[in-house]
Parts: sequence; C-alpha cells; structure tokens
Amino acid sequence: MENIFGFISPSILSQILVGLSRTVILFIVSSGLTLILGVLRIPNVAHGSLYMIGAFMAYTVSHLFGGGNTGFWMALILAPLGVAALSFLAERSLFQFLYEREHLMLLLLTFALSLVFGDLVKLIWGAEYRSVPVPSIFQGYINLFGGLPFPIYSFFLLVMGPVIAILLWLLTNKTRIGKISRAAAVDRDMVGAVGINVNWVFAIVFVIGCLLAGLGGVLVAPTVSVTLGMDHTLIMEAFLIVIMGGLGNVWGALLGALIFGLTQSLGILIWPQFGIVFPYIAVVVVLIFRPTGILKSTW
Amino acid sequence: MAGSFFRTKSLWVIIGLVILFLFPVFLDRFYIYLAAIILLTGLCATSLNFVLGYGGVFQFHHAVFYGVGAYSAALMVLKSGLSPWLGFIVGPSVAAILGFIIGLICVRLSKLYFGMLQISLGSLVWAIVYRWYSFTGGDDGIHGIPLPDIISSPNGAYYFTLIVTSVSMFILYRMIKSPFGSALQGIRDNPVRSEMIGVNVRQQQLLALTIAGFFGGVAGSLFVVVDNTVFPDMMFWTVSLELVIMCLLGGWLSFLGPIVGAAIIVILRTYVSGVTVYWALVLGIIMMLVIFFLPNGVLGYLDRFMKKKVRAR
Amino acid sequence: MKRSPRIVFLSVILLSVMCIFSLSHAANTIKIGIVDTYTGPATTFTNDVLDGFKLAVDRINVGGGILGKKIEYTTRDEKFKPDIGLAMAKELILKEKVDILMGTINSATTLAISDFVKKEKVPFFVTFAKSEKIVGEKGHRYIFNMNENTEMAGRATAIALAKKPYVKYWIAGDDYEYGHAIADAVWNNLKKLKPSAQKVGETWWKVGEADFTPYITQILAAKPDFIIVATGGSGMVNFQKAAKATGLSQKIPFYQHTATELSVLAPQGPNGPEGVYGTANYFFYYPDTPENRAFVADFKKAYNRNPRIGALYGYMTAQFIVAGYKKAGKIDSEKLINALEGMTLDSPVGPLEIRKCDHQLLLPMYFGVTKRDPKYDFLIAGNIETIQGRDYVPSCQEVLKLYKK
Repeated sequence: MENIFGFISPSILSQILVGLSRTVILFIVSSGLTLILGVLRIPNVAHGSLYMIGAFMAYTVSHLFGGGNTGFWMALILAPLGVAALSFLAERSLFQFLYEREHLMLLLLTFALSLVFGDLVKLIWGAEYRSVPVPSIFQGYINLFGGLPFPIYSFFLLVMGPVIAILLWLLTNKTRIGKISRAAAVDRDMVGAVGINVNWVFAIVFVIGCLLAGLGGVLVAPTVSVTLGMDHTLIMEAFLIVIMGGLGNVWGALLGALIFGLTQSLGILIWPQFGIVFPYIAVVVVLIFRPTGILKSTW
Repeated sequence: MAGSFFRTKSLWVIIGLVILFLFPVFLDRFYIYLAAIILLTGLCATSLNFVLGYGGVFQFHHAVFYGVGAYSAALMVLKSGLSPWLGFIVGPSVAAILGFIIGLICVRLSKLYFGMLQISLGSLVWAIVYRWYSFTGGDDGIHGIPLPDIISSPNGAYYFTLIVTSVSMFILYRMIKSPFGSALQGIRDNPVRSEMIGVNVRQQQLLALTIAGFFGGVAGSLFVVVDNTVFPDMMFWTVSLELVIMCLLGGWLSFLGPIVGAAIIVILRTYVSGVTVYWALVLGIIMMLVIFFLPNGVLGYLDRFMKKKVRAR
Repeated sequence: MKRSPRIVFLSVILLSVMCIFSLSHAANTIKIGIVDTYTGPATTFTNDVLDGFKLAVDRINVGGGILGKKIEYTTRDEKFKPDIGLAMAKELILKEKVDILMGTINSATTLAISDFVKKEKVPFFVTFAKSEKIVGEKGHRYIFNMNENTEMAGRATAIALAKKPYVKYWIAGDDYEYGHAIADAVWNNLKKLKPSAQKVGETWWKVGEADFTPYITQILAAKPDFIIVATGGSGMVNFQKAAKATGLSQKIPFYQHTATELSVLAPQGPNGPEGVYGTANYFFYYPDTPENRAFVADFKKAYNRNPRIGALYGYMTAQFIVAGYKKAGKIDSEKLINALEGMTLDSPVGPLEIRKCDHQLLLPMYFGVTKRDPKYDFLIAGNIETIQGRDYVPSCQEVLKLYKK
C-alpha cells in the first residue's frame, strides 16, 4: 500500500474521500432540484428550505424514538416523507396555477416560499441549535492509510450516493411515470395531447424532487448542527451544480456535484486562504466553454 | 394626445420633486433619513430594472455593483488622501468597469444560465471583499467614513442624495426613451428578430449592463453619504433578490415601479420589525399575493386601472 | 370581477401601513431600545440576553420603576444585517427617542451603531458583539461593553494554558474576523507568557464548513500537543461533532472559546466530546453560590429553561441601568454615564465593576474542560479555574493608547 500511495500524501487522499462524502449530500439535493427544473421548469429556491426542514424533522423524529438507531432509521424514512407531504401541499395550492408563467415569476414565488418556510421553522423549532446523534452502528472511525481516521458515517454516505443515483435512474428510465415525465420535459403539450394528465405527472415529479431535498437534510443532520440558515449556502451550491451539469440532467447533477465537491476540498489544499473561490471558478470555466452545462440540458 | 399626456406627467414629476425638496422643512430627522434610504435604494432598483425589466437580462446579483460602488467610494475617501468628492466618481466608475467585465463573461449565455453565472461571479467578488481584511476591513466593514462638511449633516446628505438620484433617474429615463432603449426592449421582446434586423444584441446588452453597473455604483456611493459605513453584507446574494422583489412589487414595466417597490419594502421593513420578528414571513406572503394578484406590480396595476377608467368614459 | 381582490389587497397594505404609522407612545417612561438579531442561527444567544433583561426589568417595574418612572423597552430585529441594524438604531433614537440603546450580536452592526450614538450622545450597551475594536480603537464615552471581547478571551485562555505542559500548538479556525481575532489573541498572549510555546501549523476553513474531517486529518498528521480552535456560532458544535467522530478529542486536547457553554453542549446531549477545553463567563451550575442559585431559579420559573451566558449579560445590563439612574437621581444620559463609571454591583457571579476608563464590565472568566455528570443529560464544564476580570482585561493604559481622537 505504502508504495502505491507513496506519491500522494495520505491527507490528500483523505481530503478526496471526504470531498466525495460531502458530494453525496450535494448530489442528492441537486438531483431533486434538477429533476424539478427539467420537468416542471421551476427554479426552486425553496429547495434549500426543504433540505433544512428535512434536517429539523430528522431531529424531531429521532428524538421521538429515543435518539438511538431506531430513531435514525425512522427519521431516514419519515422525515423525507414529511417534506414530500409539505411540498405536495405547496404544489397543489400554489405552483400548479403558475406553470405557464415565466421563470422569473416562478423563481420569485419559490423565493417567497423559502422566506415563509424559514420563518415557519423558527416558529416551530425555535432558534436553538439542534443535533441529531450519529446512529451507534455508524459511530466511530476507521484508520486509513497509516492511521488517518475516517468516520464510518462518511462511508455510509459514500454508499448512499450510488444507491440514490441508481434508484433515480430506475425511476426515470424504467417506470411509466419516469418515461412520461421525460417526455413532458421535452414537449409538455404533446404529452397532454396524448391524453395523459400532465398536471398530476408534474405534481408527482415535484414531490419526488422535494423528497430528495428532505433526504439530503436527514443525511447531513448527524454530521452538523441543525440550525436556521443552513439552507442559504446549500441552495446556492446546488444551483451552481445544476447549472454546471446541465439543467434537468440528473447525471449532470452527479457530475456537477463531483466537480464542486472536489474543487472545494482540493482548493483548500492548494490555496487555503482562498479555497472557497475554487468551486466558483470551476463554474465560470465550465460555462465559458460549455454555455449550457457539461451534459445535455433538457431546456 | 401623447404630448399632453407627457406634459401632465412632467407636471406631476415637478410637483413630486418640490415636495421632496420641502421634506426637511416639515419632517422629523428620521423620516428624512428614511426618505434618503428609499431614494438610493430606489435608484439601485431602477438601475437593475434597466437591464431586468427593459433589457430582459436576468441580472440576479445586482447588489454587487451597489456594494462595489460603496466600497470604492469609501476606500477612496479613506485611503487615497485625495478630495473625497473624487470618491463619488471613482465608486460608480469601478462598478461600471465591473459591470462590463462580468457582463463580458455572462452575456453569451441565455436567461437562467446568465443569472446563475452572474450570481457565481458576484459571490466571488463578495468572498474577496469578505476576506481581504487588510484592504476592505473584512466582515466588520468600514465605519465612520469622514465626508465633506456640506454633505455630512443629515439635511446635506438628504439633498445630495435627492439631487444625485433625480439626475440619475432622469438620465436613465432619457436612455430608455432613446433609440438605444428601444433597441434594448426590442431585444427583450424578440432577440432573434432584433438580430435579423441588424442589431448587435450582445453589444447592446453589454452596454446596458455597464450602465446598470454604473448607476448601481452611484446608489452605493450615496449609501456611504447617508450611512457613513460599508460592509460586505451589502453585496450578499439575498440583497440582490430583494432588489428583484422591489422591481416586481412596484412593476417592472413602469419606469417608476422599482422606486415605488423600494419605498414599500423599506417602509414595511422599518415598521413591521417593530411589531414582529417574523419579517421574512410577512415579506414572503406579500410577495406571493403580488405574484398571484398583481403580476405587473403596484404601478402596473394602477396604470391599467386608470386606462380602463379612461376607456369606460 | 377580477379587479376586486386587487383593490382589497391594495387597501389592506395601505391600511396596515397607516395603522403602523399612527402608533403613539406613552410618556413618562424610561425608554430602552434593543437592536439585535432575532433571525437565523445567532438567535440562540440573543434570546437569552433579552430574557435576562426582561427578568430584571419586569421586577423593577412591579416594584414601581426608577424615580417613579417605569421602564419601557422595545426590540428591533436587525436580521444580522448591519444596514438594517443601523436603520433600526436611527429609528429608535430619532423617532422613538429612546433614552438608552442596547444590543447587538453582530460586530459590524455594533461598530456602525457605535459611530452613530457617539454623534447623538445616547448611551449604548453592547451585549454580545465580540470585536475588540468596540471598546478599543473605536471606543468613546457613550459605549458600554457588557461582555468579553476576543482580546479578553484570548488573554484569559493564555493565562490558563501557560500553566499546562503543552509546547507544540496548532491553530485552526473559521476564516473570518472573529476566528482570526480569537486565535491571534490566544496565541500572542500565550507567546508572551510562555516563550517556549511553538506554533507547528495553521488551518483555516470557510465559515459554515460542514465537514471537518479533512482538516482534522491534516492536524493529526502533524501530531501537535494541543490545538487552539477558533470557531464561532454553529461551527462550535460542528467541530465538536467531527472531533468526536474522528476520535480527535481522545488523541489531542483542544480548546475553543465558549466550548463549555450550555448552548454548545446541550444540543449534543450525552454525545458531546469529553476533554475539550473552553472558556465562558457563566454557567448555571457554577459558581455554586446562593446568588447564582437564586438567579437560576428565577430564570427557570419565568422561562422554564436554564439561563445561559447571554442571560447574565442582559440581566446585569438592566441592573446597571437601574442603579445608574438611581445614583444619578435624574433621567439624564450624561449623569447616568458619570454614575456608572466605576460602579460595582452584586451579580450571580459575584461583584462586578464597570471600569471608568473604557466602560468595560469586568466579568470573571471560567476556564474548564468538558466532562460527564450524572445529574445532567448533557456534558458540563469541570475542573473550573476562575480568572478574575482585572487579571485578563487589558489595562486602562493599553486600551486608552488604542483610542482614536
């Protein structure tokens, strides 16, 4: 092992691995965002709020079930469903009336929604920092590359990423709803003309997209403190990822998340002072060379 | 017909300006301060609307020019040792140059891509200002900026803001009514057609972006005069979205819409926070109501309302 | 047909604006304006300041107020935005005509307001901002600092750390003003007290960093004796969680300012890392004196939770304002300031003095280490070493040298 990794320092490897586990969260959230963008054409700024709500719901659920392993697994199932229910409500009561409006209006509506959600979280959960414990089976760390610790929970995240990606692929390619939604993304009038109720297809896709935001929130909860305002940085990153990958392209979201996560963690190694600017530079470079993102956009 | 309509319009503008000039005579100091803030925020929103409403360009991060204008003016006043008045030329100019550079990179992209790349570049500028402690003062910002006596009194600051805002608004208005403005609106409505009839779409848009950056910078410099301070939050992306909301709320197809929107937001923000800490909730609900019921903003609605009345007669 | 909802909507907006405009105010009260952040993550600290303040004020009003006048307070949410904060402060002073201003947790807002109150000659009590510029180079007659700042926290920590055997230090933190200020303060003072201390490396991450593992990996590889971690806000909890997950807290001891504070440890419950060093001005369980027990009991009765650090700041601010006016014998800002200079009052943490030269409240600092306690379902501070205010607050000569103009 030593000689294989001799030329790469262990800390760089660990940096890459951790960058990847962070990428998983970014991917899950942005895949939901890009799904909604691709099919419904809604730039959903409230996506970040749903992620935050997912994290807060995870806190509540895991505490209801005593905070241990059951708590975590229940949170993993129930919190995204809660977020999905909320988004269903929003879609039926607000978005469905606005599909024909221009993107800017939709963007502003979702921004308004994110403001409302933000304050609702404050009303319901208060301003305290919340913390979701790491489930005991994932507690602790293992030593990699000569004694460098790597949290087991991060491994769990690394596994979750591909699982979600495959599930999404199955959903969009192997199910009826996926096929319809892909068709609707290309030409919604056509799909409507064939006699399919596009309205409901849109609702289902919207809910699935938001469910992914909630799932991202649940998965991130054990690694950070759950606070108000955790949506702000994430939504910006998710949008940049989606733009970089190509609007509406789930694989683009994966690629974008990889680029984003890796430039961020490697940027810190190269130039710690301004590590934060590397992902932004990556976006700029990508868009200069490929103005509609790396992979094919559905727009 | 059109002539008389214009004449009545300019009459109203003159009456409005006279009232604004008389504000310090009968209003308390706080309201003068509030009026100054509304004016400069309104100017900033109007400069955004120049490209957003009239140009149809998704300038999502306009606050960058506001902030850069303010920082350039403040740093010029503080560090150069030259006349502070120079700061008010340097501030907008730097903002215009930045507007040109960011525009140059973004202008090839369409709609949402443009907006997102612009946010990305704007966030870069923000990150640099936020971290460059030795030059910009980092996240604490710069406070107590010394200004010439004539504009450092509350009334002086107000009159300076009022005059600069009025002149800037007039210039923007003339530009919208000029052939350049028509070309811009033509591009917004139908870019393909504009290109066909020989309009250099990108060049026109780039020019518009530079102008918008300049007047955003003017608004930023005015903020330095009114509040004597600058800080990186001025150019955080949420501020930009708030500017977009102002345009929408007031009506982005009306020239004075953004300034009306700015007035509504600033006044509500000031008074609502005395009553509740759920300002975001209030703003969010207002926005939803506007989107559903007043898609053309307050002025757009009034405009149509008046026209209907005229027609009914 | 379509028009009516729009008209209704418009008139609602107009009406509500008019209603708010016409709010009038009662006279013959002492008005205190509070500008602070009640939106976003900082709220967890500011709510305690407000509640501590309310606790004291309500009691005084029930007892008849000061000099026959009741205290009236009004809050404004600055949303952690300096422009809004400054506008709120101007509103409170120019329109509401408050006698005293209080707040904020945001250093940028505080400095902006400080510049304004200096011109308007309104006393301003700073309750949570940590920038050392507030009573340092930007200090003036109208500002009172009711909490510690980064320089003070650094000195107190250096005093305690100098007694420990560690030699090789690593410095890491949030890459913003507060992080650097805390780290510099600890390091520069430590170097003065213990010249043999050496810095083996530094790591800075962006504010709001979610995953600390790569940084921790880097630090572990360098094998320092001790890590000075300069995080603030939610970074406190995030770093502790990462330290626990990677086993850092068992391998290398580290320090964070306010690591032992309730707002950091309570959210983690029994899962917080043990053996983390921290400093704080207040614990509800320490010092275990009758005064503190009484304060905690009152606070719990009123709000059904334990008081945290902010509660002490808010509570003592109210006490000093009341005592100041009583001593001045008149509701007058200049007299109030004169009265407060050098005043000492009893508090839950013992007698506290507002220093004459720079209006700094001299609070004790508690240096401790996190440990489990069967009485609580979260970690608390143990092995507490008390550093008295006069020992760690920069001397008057030092501070006055910084004053500009």
